[in-house]
Amino acid sequence: MTAMDTAGSDTAAPGARFEDRARSQLAKKHLPLVIGRATDTREGRRRAAFSSLDGPGLRRAAEAVRAYTIVNLPDYLSRFADAAEAKGTKVFFADDAEDAVGYVRQVVSAHGARLIAKGKSMASEEIGLSHALEADGLRVVETDLGEYIVQLAGDPPSHITAPAVHMSRGDVARLFTSAHGLAEPLPDDPAGLTAFARAHLREVFLGADVGICGVNFAVADSGSLSLVTNEGNGRLVTSMPKVLIAIMGMERIVPSFKELGLLLPMLVASASGRAVTTYFSFVNGPRLPSEVDGPDEVHVVVLDNGRSQILSTEFRSILHCIRCGACQNVCPVYRHVGGHGYGSVYGGPIGAVLTPLLVGFERAGDLPHASSLCGACSEVCPVGIPLHEHLLGLRREVAAAGAPVSERAVFGLWSRVWERARVYRWFASMSRVAQAPFARGRRIRHAPWPLGRWTRERDLPAVARRTFRERWSER
Amino acid sequence: MDRTAFLGRARRRLQGVGGPGLVTSFPATPASGTDASPERFLAALRAVNGEGLLVARVALRDAIATALIADDGGQAQDMKRSAVVTPDVSDFAAEIDAALSDAGFEVVRPATGQEWREHASMAAVGITSALLGVASTGSVLIGSDANSPRAASILPETHLVILPVNRLVPGLEEALETVAALATTHSAPFLVTGPSRTSDIEMEMVLGAHGPRRLYVCLVE
Repeated sequence: MTAMDTAGSDTAAPGARFEDRARSQLAKKHLPLVIGRATDTREGRRRAAFSSLDGPGLRRAAEAVRAYTIVNLPDYLSRFADAAEAKGTKVFFADDAEDAVGYVRQVVSAHGARLIAKGKSMASEEIGLSHALEADGLRVVETDLGEYIVQLAGDPPSHITAPAVHMSRGDVARLFTSAHGLAEPLPDDPAGLTAFARAHLREVFLGADVGICGVNFAVADSGSLSLVTNEGNGRLVTSMPKVLIAIMGMERIVPSFKELGLLLPMLVASASGRAVTTYFSFVNGPRLPSEVDGPDEVHVVVLDNGRSQILSTEFRSILHCIRCGACQNVCPVYRHVGGHGYGSVYGGPIGAVLTPLLVGFERAGDLPHASSLCGACSEVCPVGIPLHEHLLGLRREVAAAGAPVSERAVFGLWSRVWERARVYRWFASMSRVAQAPFARGRRIRHAPWPLGRWTRERDLPAVARRTFRERWSER
Repeated sequence: MDRTAFLGRARRRLQGVGGPGLVTSFPATPASGTDASPERFLAALRAVNGEGLLVARVALRDAIATALIADDGGQAQDMKRSAVVTPDVSDFAAEIDAALSDAGFEVVRPATGQEWREHASMAAVGITSALLGVASTGSVLIGSDANSPRAASILPETHLVILPVNRLVPGLEEALETVAALATTHSAPFLVTGPSRTSDIEMEMVLGAHGPRRLYVCLVE
C-alpha cells in the first residue's frame, strides 16, 4: 500500500491530471483573489522581517545546517532515537504509510481509545492517518482551526500554513451551523466563529484518549521534539491526553538546540514574517514521576515513505524543506489554482518536486510542469532549495522515463523540418495555408489536434503573412 | 520496520556523499537580541498583543489587582471567580493572595494532575512564574514541571506571569541554551509569546484560539 491508497479524498485518483484539476480550480472565480490576498500579505511580511538583517547570510547558514544534517541523517536519527528512548519515549521507524498507520492503530487499540485529538501534521496527511483511524470507528478531530474547518468541509488543506485559505467567513459560518446541527445560523464574524470552535474543541482536548501531533524539528542530541503553533493546540494535544503519538518525516532532524536557534526563526519569519510564533512547545519525553500533568506515554513514528530513495539523487536538497510555505506564496501557478490543484498533500513548488519523488512519476509526473520556471520559489526558500532547477530536472527525468508516443512523433518531425532550409520554407508556407481556417488576426485561439491541448490554455501566434526570410530576400 | 534496516537503507543511499562540516556560527536572526532590558521586553510583548509592566515589589499587589479587575471591564466583583496559582510563584504568595482578594477572586492551589485540570479549566486566571523572559521577542519560558503544572498556563482565559526582572535574557539563542539544559529535568518546557491567536478565517487575527486570550507579565524589580 502506498501513501496514495490510504489518502482517501486528499489525493487525486490515479490518472487524474494536473491540467484537469487546475481547470476545475480555475472555474472558481473568487479563488485567485482570495489566495492572492493571503499570499501577498504573507510574502510582504516575510520580506519585511528580513529587510534589516543579513538575509542571504542567514539562508546560507540555514542551507548549510540542513545540508549537513541530511548528509549525516542516519547518524543523527540514531542519536535521536537513543536519546529519546533513554527518557522513555518509544521510537518506531516506519518504512511506508502502511507501516506507520499500522503502528498507530496498534497503540490506539492497546489503550482502547475512542476519541483522538489531532494537531497539525503534514506527515499524517501524507499517510492518510485520520481516514484510516476513522475507518476503524474512532473519532479523530483536527484541532488546528484551519484544519478543523477543512476536516468538517471534507476538503484537504490548501496551504501548508493556512489550510482553509480557500474558504470565506460565510463558508465557515454555514459549515459550522450545519455540521453542528444548529437551529440558528452562526453570524459570519471570525471572532465569534473562533470562539465557537474553541468551546467545542476544548471538550475534545480534555476528553481525548490519545493525542496525535506533527513535529517541526526533532533534536538529535536530547531526543526532544519541537512544535510551533500560534493557537496553542500543539501545547494542548501534547499535554492533555494520557498518550501522545508524534509523526515525523525522517528528515525533520536538527543536531542540537543550537541549530534550532537559527531554524525556528527562519521557519516562522518565512511563513509569517514574525520572529517567533505564540507557542514553541518542546516535548522531552513522557511526564516525569515528579510532575503532575502531561502524557504517561510518548511515541514517535519516524517516517520514510519514499524519502530515503531521494537521498542518492540530485534532488536530495528537497529534504532540506522546513515546510514554511514561502514558495507557495510567491508561485504564480499556486496563486491561481490553489493547493487543491496539485492533488497532493503538498502543493505549490515544494509539492511539485516532492510529490513525484514520493509517489512516483506514473501518478504525479505531470506536477513538475505545473510551474512557469520563473524561479521566485528558489529565491524565497529559507534553506536554499533550488526548486525551479529541481522542477526542470524532474521534467527531464519524466521525459526520459517515457514521453507519450504522439509527443515524441511531433517533436521528431519538428526537428527534421528545422534541419533543412528548403523543407522549413515549404513548411512555413504550408502552415500559412493550413492555419487560415483557425487564425483570427495574428492569433490562433483554437487549433486542431495535435495542438488543441496547447490552445486550450493559451493562444498560438499565427504564422506571419510574409516571413522574415521572404522580406530579407526582397531587399 | 526494524531500526537497523531502516537506517542501513538510508546509509547505503548516502554512500560516497559528502560535504562541508557543520557551521557553528550564524548571523543574527529575527529573534536574536542585543540587550536584556525590561523596556525592550515590554515593547516586544505589546507588539504581539501581550500586556505587562515593570513594577517594584511593594507595588506588586496593586499591579496584579489592577490587571485582574481590568480583565472584564470591572465586572469581576459581581461574580466570584477563581484563579489557579502554581507553586513557582510561592515567593510572591502574600502579594498574590492579597491582590486576588482585592479583585474578588477565589484562590485555588490544586495538588493532583486531575485537580489541576479541573480547576484550571474553570479558572479565569492562571498565575505562574517563568524560568526566563526573552527581551527581543517578549517571550516567557514556562518550565511545566511540578512547580508549574502545564494546565495552569494553557487552560485559563488569562495567563498572568510574575517574572523577576533579572531573569531576562537578550534573545532566543540564550533562551534555547536554557531549554537545552532542561532536557532531562523537565518533560515539556514551552516558550509563550503573547496570547493565543489564529488567522485561519480570512486572515483576520483573533485572540484566544485555544490558549489564553490574554497574557499579562509583571516584571518585578
